[in-house]
Amino acid sequence: MPDRQPDPVEEGRFPGYDVLRKRSSMSWNDRTREVVDRRLAVERGPRTLSADAFRCLEAVCAQIVPQNQGPSFAPLAAYVDEGLTLGLGPGYRNAELPEAPEAWAKALAALDATAQREHDAVFAALDDAQQKSLLQRMQKGELSGPEWTDVPPKLFFSQHVLTDIVAAWAAHPSAWSRIGFGGPASPRGYVRMGFGMRDSWEAAEAHPGQEAKAARENRRVR
Amino acid sequence: MSFQPLPARPERTLRLLDSLFRRNKPAADPARIALDRLGRSFERARATAIVAARPGLPDALRHQPLVSPRKGVDAARALNRASGLLAFSVLTDSALEHYRGAFRNKAMFTPLATSALTVAASLHGTTDQRESAHLFRDVTYALAAVTGLVGTAFHVFNVGSRVGGFRWVNFFYRAPVGAPMAILISGLFGVASERLRREGPGGRPTVFGLGAGRTLATITAGSMAGTVGEAWLLHFRGNFQNPAMYIPVTIPPASGALLMDAAIRGGEKRRTAARASLWATVATGIAGTFFHAYGVQRMMGGWRNWKQNLLDGPPVPTPPAFTGVALAGLAALDLLEGDDA
Amino acid sequence: MCADQTILANREGLRSGNLSPMQQVRAAGGRAPDPHVTGGWLSMQEYADGEEVDFAIVGTGAGGGTLAAELAEAGFSVVAFDAGPYFRPLEDFASDETAQSQLFWTDKRIVDGDNPLKMGSNNSGKAVGGSTVHYAMVALRQRPESFASRTKQGFGADWPISWQEMWRYYTKAEDALKISGPIRYPWGPKRPRYPYRPHDLNAAALMLAKGAEALGIDWTETPLATVSAPRGKSPPCVYRGFCRVGCSTNAKQSALVTFIPRAIRAGAEVRDLAMVGRIEVNKDGRATGLHYHRAGQWRFQRARNVIVAGYAIESPRLLLNSATDRHPDGLANSSGLVGKYLMTQSNQAVFGVMDDEVRWNKGPPSLAITEHWNYDDRKDFFGGYIHMSQGPLPVEWSSVLTGSKGLWGDALLGELDKYNHQVGLKMVGEMMPQERNQVTLADEVDQYGLRVARITYSWCDNDKAMIKHALDFMQQQAEAAGVKEIFRQKNDTNHLAGTIRMGADRRTSVVNADCRSWDIPNLFVCDGSVFPTTGGVNPSLTIQALALRTADRIKELSRRGEL
Ligand SMILES: Cc1cc2nc3c(=O)[nH]c(=O)nc-3n(C[C@H](O)[C@H](O)[C@H](O)COP(=O)(O)OP(=O)(O)OC[C@H]3O[C@@H](n4cnc5c(N)ncnc54)[C@H](O)[C@@H]3O)c2cc1C
Ligand code: SF4
Repeated sequence: MPDRQPDPVEEGRFPGYDVLRKRSSMSWNDRTREVVDRRLAVERGPRTLSADAFRCLEAVCAQIVPQNQGPSFAPLAAYVDEGLTLGLGPGYRNAELPEAPEAWAKALAALDATAQREHDAVFAALDDAQQKSLLQRMQKGELSGPEWTDVPPKLFFSQHVLTDIVAAWAAHPSAWSRIGFGGPASPRGYVRMGFGMRDSWEAAEAHPGQEAKAARENRRVR
Repeated sequence: MSFQPLPARPERTLRLLDSLFRRNKPAADPARIALDRLGRSFERARATAIVAARPGLPDALRHQPLVSPRKGVDAARALNRASGLLAFSVLTDSALEHYRGAFRNKAMFTPLATSALTVAASLHGTTDQRESAHLFRDVTYALAAVTGLVGTAFHVFNVGSRVGGFRWVNFFYRAPVGAPMAILISGLFGVASERLRREGPGGRPTVFGLGAGRTLATITAGSMAGTVGEAWLLHFRGNFQNPAMYIPVTIPPASGALLMDAAIRGGEKRRTAARASLWATVATGIAGTFFHAYGVQRMMGGWRNWKQNLLDGPPVPTPPAFTGVALAGLAALDLLEGDDA
Repeated sequence: MCADQTILANREGLRSGNLSPMQQVRAAGGRAPDPHVTGGWLSMQEYADGEEVDFAIVGTGAGGGTLAAELAEAGFSVVAFDAGPYFRPLEDFASDETAQSQLFWTDKRIVDGDNPLKMGSNNSGKAVGGSTVHYAMVALRQRPESFASRTKQGFGADWPISWQEMWRYYTKAEDALKISGPIRYPWGPKRPRYPYRPHDLNAAALMLAKGAEALGIDWTETPLATVSAPRGKSPPCVYRGFCRVGCSTNAKQSALVTFIPRAIRAGAEVRDLAMVGRIEVNKDGRATGLHYHRAGQWRFQRARNVIVAGYAIESPRLLLNSATDRHPDGLANSSGLVGKYLMTQSNQAVFGVMDDEVRWNKGPPSLAITEHWNYDDRKDFFGGYIHMSQGPLPVEWSSVLTGSKGLWGDALLGELDKYNHQVGLKMVGEMMPQERNQVTLADEVDQYGLRVARITYSWCDNDKAMIKHALDFMQQQAEAAGVKEIFRQKNDTNHLAGTIRMGADRRTSVVNADCRSWDIPNLFVCDGSVFPTTGGVNPSLTIQALALRTADRIKELSRRGEL
C-alpha cells in the first residue's frame, strides 16, 4: 500500500480548509447541496460489478489516487460502479472498445488474470510495487494475453482507468479541499480577480512559515 | 501628531480637541452660546416666515439667505456640512473599495483615517458659531486635501501600472481615478470654510483674498465636473442600462454650469436658477443612494449576498458626494447674494 | 422514455412536487418555464400535430433558437423541437461539473479515424437552448477573408455570402445578445462598439496580456455573451466560473434566456424532450412534416417548411436517417455531400504555473484573447487561429493532466495541488475541410431505435502545421509572461462545423446561401453544419448571424411568394 498521505484538511497546502464548511453559505444553492449531499452518501458496495471485480477496482483506485482511510476518504470505486449502473458516460465510445460496463468488467477480470498468471494472486493481493508495475505496463500497452483481446489495455487505461477514476476524485469535496479550490459558487461568485487576490470565502494557501496564519484564515472561510 | 479614532461620544472629543487647538481660548460660556443660538433661531424663523408669505414659488426657491453680519460664518458652517458629507461618503466608499483591494498597500488605510478626521472636524465646525479659524479643523482639512492629491496620484499609478496601462478596462476596474478627488474637494471646502470665518464681522467675506462667493462657486463647479466625470465613467461601464443612470450626468453638470453663470454674470434670476438646480443635485445624491441600494438588490443573490454585492454592485456610499458638492454650491450662492451691487 | 434517462433523472433528483426536467416535459399545457423567474411560467401557444404549421424547427440552439424567435416575431406559426430538457437555470443548475453533465449530448455515438473526436462535453449540448447553454460565450466575428477562403486564401471553399453582409448581421447578433466587449477591437475592419462594456480581467487573462505585451502583439478583452451590467432580469456576471457547465445566474446570454422567451412570447411553441427521428417527404419531393418522439410515443407534426438545426452531427444524421426509396442516400443529398466535410477546431493548449496565486477558476474561462494569427499572414499553413486564457474546473483540469501527461498516483496529486497557480493559453484553430472527415450511420441504434452517428476524423498536414505553430507560439508567449513548468496539451479539439455545406453550386453543396436545400425547396438547415469553412474563431456568433440572415431571407421569400 502507498505511504500515508497528508490529511488534506489538516495538513497540505491549505491547512484547515474544508470546502464543506461553505455548505450553508451563499456559495451553495439548494440544488448544489442536493447533488453534493447525494454524492457523499453514495452506496459503498458494488451494484453492477461483481464482488471480485469491485475488489480489484478498489485496489486500482488506491493506486491511481492514493488516499488515507479517514473521514475525507472518497470511495472512488463506488463512484465508478455507480456510473456504470446509471449508464453515465461521456456520450461517445471509441470504436475499438465495448460499452463501458462490459469494458470495465472485462478489463478488471483481465487484470486479475494477469496478476494470477504472473504472481499467483489477484491484483488486490499484490504488493504496492507489483500493482504499480502492472498498471504501468497496462498504460504502456505492454500487457498481452487472450484476456486483453476485447479491451486493448493501453486504450482502456487512458479512456477509462484514468478518466473515470480521476474524474470521480476531482468531483469529490475532499479533492476540492486538498487543492484549495473554492468549490461551488452560486449565487455568490467571486470579487477579487487579480494575481494573489483571495476572497474571504476562498482557501488561504500556506506560504512557508505562514502555516498558522493560513490555518486561521481557512477556519474562517464560509 | 496622531489622533485617536473617534470614541463613542463625539461631543466630548470635539470639546477636548477644541480646547487643545483653540488659539485664543475664550472662556467657553455655555450661557452665552445658548443665548446666541436662541437668537439665531429666532432670526431664522422670522426670515423664513417673511419669505414663506411670498406665494407662487416652491419651497426651495423661496429660501433667501439671511442678511446677517455673520454671513461668513453661516457660509462656513454650510461648507462644513458639505465637507462632512463628502468625507462621510469617502469614508464608507474607501472602506468598501479598499477592503475589496484587500488593503494590499498599507497606504490604503490613509483615506479612512483622514476622512474620519474630516467628518469629525466638520461636525465640530457645524456646531461652531465662532468667527475664527480653528487649528484642528484647518490642519485636518489641509490633510484631507493633500490625501486627495496623493491618492489621485496613487490611483493614476494603479491604473497605469497594470498590464495594458491606460486603457479603458483598467480605468473601469482598477482604482477609480476620480474617487480620491472627493476627499480633495472635501478638504478644499473645509480649508475655504476656515478662511471664511476669519474675516471679521461686517467685512465682505473673502477666501484667499478673493471674493468668497465667486471663489467658492468656481471650486464647487470644478468639483462638480470631477464628480460627474467619475459617475460618467462608472455608469458608462454599466452601459447606462437603467435610464436613471443618466440623471447624475445631466442634472449636476447643469447645476455646475448654472452656478458659474450666476457667479460670473450675477443677477437674481440666475441665482434662482442655480439654486433650483443645486437643490435638484442635492436630491440626485440622495436618490442615487436609493438607486444604488436597488442596484445591489438586482445583482445575483441581492442583499442576501451582500458580501459580494456590496463590493461588486453599484457603490451605495458614493452618490451623497453630489449632495455634498451641491450643498457647497448653495453656500457659495448665499455668499454671492449682494455681489451684484 | 429509455431506462438510462429515467435512472439519470432519478439520480438528478425528484424535487418535491417538481419533476426533473430530464424526465417530464415542461413546456406543455399552454405554458413553458420562464427561465428568469423561479417557478415562473410563460404562457405558450400550442399547435395540434395535425395542424400544418408554417415552420417546424429541429433544435433550439444557436441556429434554431434564433430562427424560432425571428420567424415567430414575423408572424409565422412555429413549433421548435428539442431532444433535450427545458431547464430553469436558477433552480436546476448546481455548481458542480459532474451533475451538470446533464447538459451534454451523451446519447450513444461512435468515433473513429486517425484522430477520433471527443464528443459530449466537448462540443454537443442537448437542451432547449442547445450548446449555448453550456458554451463559453466567446463571441467573435470571422475575419473577412474567411468568407472567401478559396479566392482570397487559396484553400477550402468560398461562402456564398459576402463578408460585408455577414458583418451587418454580426452587428445585429451582437446587439441581440448584448455582447460585453472592448471599446476598441484591435483587429479587422471597423466594427461598432460592443453593446456592453468589457469584463474585468482575472489573473489568468493578465498572464496572456503580459505575454502579448512582451512579444509586442495585440491582445484585448474577449467579447463575451455574458452581461457586465444588468440586462432585464439578467444580473451581471458574478465571476463564478462555472460557465461551461451552465450559468445558474442567467448572466450568460444563452439562447435559453434570450431567443427562446422571445420566440414563446411571439407565439412559437417549444417542445422539450422531443426527439425528431425522421422528416417525411411526399412524392413531389417536398417535406410534409416530421416524426418525433415525446412522452413515450412517436408522433407526426405537419409543417409547410422544415428547418433542421441539430448541429453538425445530428443534422446530417437526421437527413441520413430520413432516407426513403426516392431518396436512398438520405434527404437533400443529390450532391452526395451530406455528412461530408466535417470540421472541428483545434483546441490545443500550453499550461504551466506561476509563482503568484492565480485562481483561474474565477470568472468566465477566457477573459483575454489575441487574434494575432488570424490577421497575420506570414505563416506556412492555411487558415488562422486565436488563442485565449483558460480556467478549467477541477474535473476538466484533471482530465487534461491525465490525458496529456498520463499522470496518476502521487505524481498526479502533486500536479493537481498546483491548481491555484495554474495558467494556460488555448487555441481555437481553423481545421481544413476534408471530404474524408464525415458523419455516417452506424448499424447500432440508440434508445429511440434510430441508427447512431459514426464520426470519422483525421487531421491533415495543414492541421498539424497549424497546431505546431500555435503550440510553439503560445509557449513562447507563456514563457515571456513568466510561466514555468510549461507542458502541452496536444490532443484536444472542440467546436464542430460542416457536414451540410452551403455554396453557390448545387453540385458541390447541399444548401444555398439562404440555407435552403437545393433538392427539397421547403427544407432549410440553419446551424453550424452549413459552414463551408470553419474560420479561426469560435463559431456560435457566426451561426447566430447566419440565422438572422436566414430569417430575413425567409421573410423576403415569403413576401415574394417563393416559399
Ligand atoms: C463546452 C463548449 C464551449 C463552447 N464555447 C463556445 C464559445 O465560447 N464560443 C462559441 O462561439 N462557441 C462555443 N461553443 C460552440 C457552440 O456552442 C456551438 O457551435 C453552437 O451552439 C452550435 O449551434 P447549433 O445551433 O448548430 O447547435 P446547438 O446549439 O448544439 O443546438 C442543437 C440542438 O438541437 C437539438 N437536437 C439535435 N438533434 C435533434 C433531433 N433530432 N431532434 C430534436 N432536437 C435535436 C440538440 O438537443 C441541441 O439542443 C462551445 C461548445 C461547447 C460544447
Ligand atoms: S462566470 Fe458569469 S457567465 Fe459564467 S457562470 Fe458565472 S455568472 Fe454565469
